[in-house]
Amino acid sequence: MNVDWKILLVELILMPIVAFVVGLLLVLLMRKVRARIERRVGPPFMQPLYDIIKLYGKKTQISHGFIMDLGVIMVVGGYIAAEVFLPVPGMDGMAREGDLITLIYLMMVPSLGLALGVGQCANPNGSIGIARALTSMLAYDIPFVIVVAGAVILYGTSNLTEIIAIQQAGGLSSWGVAMMPLLAIGGLISSYAMLGKEPFELYIAPAEIATGPMVEMSGKYLGALFVMQCFQVYAVSVLYVTLFLGGGENWFTFLLKIAAVIFVSASVTTIFPRYKTEDAIRWLWKWPTGISLLGLAIVMAK
Amino acid sequence: MSMLAGNLDLLLLTALLTIVLTYAMGNRRVNGWCATGLYGIQLLFLIMMGMQYTQATTNLQLFSSSLTATMFGNHLVWEMSGLGWFFAVITVGAALFSSWYAAGAWSEKRDGMRLFHVAMAVNVFSMLLLLSSGDLLSLFIGWELVSWASYLIMTQRGGAAANAAFRYILYATAGAVAILAAIILLHQKAGSLDFETVRTYLAQAPNALVWVIMLLFACGFLIKMAAVPFHLWQAAAYSQTPGPAAAFLGAISSRMGLFALAIVLINLIGVARLIDMSIPYTFLDARTLWLWVAAITVIVPTFIALTQTDARMLLAWHGIGQGGYMLLGIMVASPLGVSGGLMHVFNHASYQAALFLAVTSVVYRTGTADLDRLGGLVTRMPLAFTTMLLGIIGLAGLPPMNGFVSKWMVYKSLLDANMPLLFLASVIGTLGTILSVYKLIHNTFLGQLRLEYRDVKEVPWSMSVPMLVLGGIAFITGYLPGLVLDMAAPAQAVLGIAPLPHHLGGVTAATGSLNMIWVVSILIVSIGIGALIFYGGNRTSRVHQFDNYAGGHFLTADMRYHYSHNFYAGLMRVIGPWYRGSVQWLETGLVSISNFSADLANGIYRNAYTSAYLLFTVVAGLTWVMFG
Repeated sequence: MNVDWKILLVELILMPIVAFVVGLLLVLLMRKVRARIERRVGPPFMQPLYDIIKLYGKKTQISHGFIMDLGVIMVVGGYIAAEVFLPVPGMDGMAREGDLITLIYLMMVPSLGLALGVGQCANPNGSIGIARALTSMLAYDIPFVIVVAGAVILYGTSNLTEIIAIQQAGGLSSWGVAMMPLLAIGGLISSYAMLGKEPFELYIAPAEIATGPMVEMSGKYLGALFVMQCFQVYAVSVLYVTLFLGGGENWFTFLLKIAAVIFVSASVTTIFPRYKTEDAIRWLWKWPTGISLLGLAIVMAK
Repeated sequence: MSMLAGNLDLLLLTALLTIVLTYAMGNRRVNGWCATGLYGIQLLFLIMMGMQYTQATTNLQLFSSSLTATMFGNHLVWEMSGLGWFFAVITVGAALFSSWYAAGAWSEKRDGMRLFHVAMAVNVFSMLLLLSSGDLLSLFIGWELVSWASYLIMTQRGGAAANAAFRYILYATAGAVAILAAIILLHQKAGSLDFETVRTYLAQAPNALVWVIMLLFACGFLIKMAAVPFHLWQAAAYSQTPGPAAAFLGAISSRMGLFALAIVLINLIGVARLIDMSIPYTFLDARTLWLWVAAITVIVPTFIALTQTDARMLLAWHGIGQGGYMLLGIMVASPLGVSGGLMHVFNHASYQAALFLAVTSVVYRTGTADLDRLGGLVTRMPLAFTTMLLGIIGLAGLPPMNGFVSKWMVYKSLLDANMPLLFLASVIGTLGTILSVYKLIHNTFLGQLRLEYRDVKEVPWSMSVPMLVLGGIAFITGYLPGLVLDMAAPAQAVLGIAPLPHHLGGVTAATGSLNMIWVVSILIVSIGIGALIFYGGNRTSRVHQFDNYAGGHFLTADMRYHYSHNFYAGLMRVIGPWYRGSVQWLETGLVSISNFSADLANGIYRNAYTSAYLLFTVVAGLTWVMFG
């Protein structure tokens, strides 16, 4: 394979930075949408970035031990690694060296880091939060995996650049959302549950377990979790756009598409209270799983 | 050729010598080191044999031994194929690390080390004999030896261990009878028991007969693998075995079932034939049945592991579940799937042995493996923590460890073969594993350190080095999976599956590639960047574990502040009833069936028309003599 090393290096550096900046914008969008629905003004444009800078710059930084430090390093590092496997317009990065399945499992590395770090804090609220987060992962990943299986079988490949190329070559009617509408619905619900917003924020649950994983986090530790949120919102929405909305032809339509995905999610957030753990599992295993299985059956029948 | 033949002879003789020497040296401290050295020599012989594959033009190279016998007109041969070689490397490697770990400080506090070392040596020898069986009869002899050797190693602690081992030997004897029945049936029909004749015979045998033979073999081999529905014996038996021996058993012992099953299903019957054997009145065929047996073996034991409160039980149940991935990959029968399944045998051995040794270290220092009574040990035993961390990432199948690569290959082969539901089942198994292994590391090493373990120290170097090396192997073969894929290639050739095109970093294919060199390098660099960002910030100040948010209370040392019992309470509220429902229903069902058939047999013999039975037998016998 003939790789242009300079271009590759630039892509590898640029892709996480782009992901972070776009992630900041998406977080701003979520907060703005929520504010407008609640008839508030919402935060100013730079607020997400200011939050992170403020937390990072705090003088008091409380650590509960090396594993907690390692945990937040893995949180940031794991997502930086994941972003270069997620192709964006004009940049494929490492997407040919690891496929969709690799990406999904790579995105679990930061979650593992967070879980380890929180575990070291020796706070039961944090541990309960992680137990709930892992439980909800089991809940939303089952419909999500069905969606992934359906998509890979429909496109005949798990290579993300190929999946984008197939959709862009075929035009609007070959987009995932047109070819497998039921899987698109199941995917939207499960990727929304991945973001951990209401009604699926059972592992944050401030009133019950004092914000769960974040209970002992302050300063740059909490800042790392903010960065994680930016990366996560970005990765989930880009993955959805890649699988169902034809990827990005250019940066304008690309940003429009991922903003649309997040806009829909953010609008749902505001109108729901929180599920109990067991109710979230039951709901996710009933509706999105059922819809996705139906969608999968249709894909298999084709 | 004579040089090659000498190699297998040397290997078997060294294995035999290991038994004799470990017996002769008894309980002396040096016994363990001597055994470790002898396993090292055996591994060296195996590596020398492996070198032949790099030079030979064909991967079908056989290493014959001068050990032969003639029994009932059958010529028995022992020769090692690439498949046997692959499993043999893992066997001897697992024995090497386990006895290395046991040789040093671990053995000081214990008596009965002679039995420990002899049992391990007997296991290795009988496994090597099984792995070099050249026909079905020698396979059966090896199989029986392995069963009794396993019984010996499991039963050594006595008490509960003896009970668990007895349960195993009951299962194993039943299985052996089934295997023997299949072999006798084949001998009757095919006239010989060498693989080639049997293969030719089975190719033209009627479907019904192949079904019978397949199911009889399956009963025996699945028991060793502890595949569902024969999964009940294994976890209790393995977890009661002394730590390093449990690491050895967990790494390789049940894979003997996979080895034998692969020979019968893939090599003798063939996947094409399995697909051809449809189950009447369903859409299923024999291969689909096997795939689902494998998938259920992935899910059920994994979710039983999730509910365990003993670290060794948890690991043993996961070992059963991971065996399902191996069978799944092999039964997909595509080059990618078989490579993934075989590679998982190696990968699983490396991280499972590391995990068992890490747990053994915890038991060595604290005296318990009860997940509700540990916690916070990371500050006291960082090396055991590191080993367990490497191990659980491998077991959960996440990058950058080797478990991810082999599972990725199994997933990908299932998707390539258009089997989305089996793919879903295998991912559900992985998700359950992630939940379970986090509980393992959290309850043991993270959270609050109990007062009674405040002065616990790291295990001595003689114990921490072997387990760290195992963890290192699991990492390196994750970084460079091509190393293991090269080793699995001869095994794949023996099974008659086309070779998998691969390179040092993994697999490149049009429908999706995996290059672990890139994946791991990028992960390491990214974590480095994460570290730079983190340490670039203000200095952190370390606080005591009780300097914690406790809703306004002050924490003291007598306060249990570690969330460990019933860790996944919310999940159990949903799936908890299913255990009581379906899983235990399966167990009681199995017990009921055996009780029922025992009662039936009992009834026939006891309820007395003995003379009538004798008459029937004589008449049947005479009929057979006259018209048979």
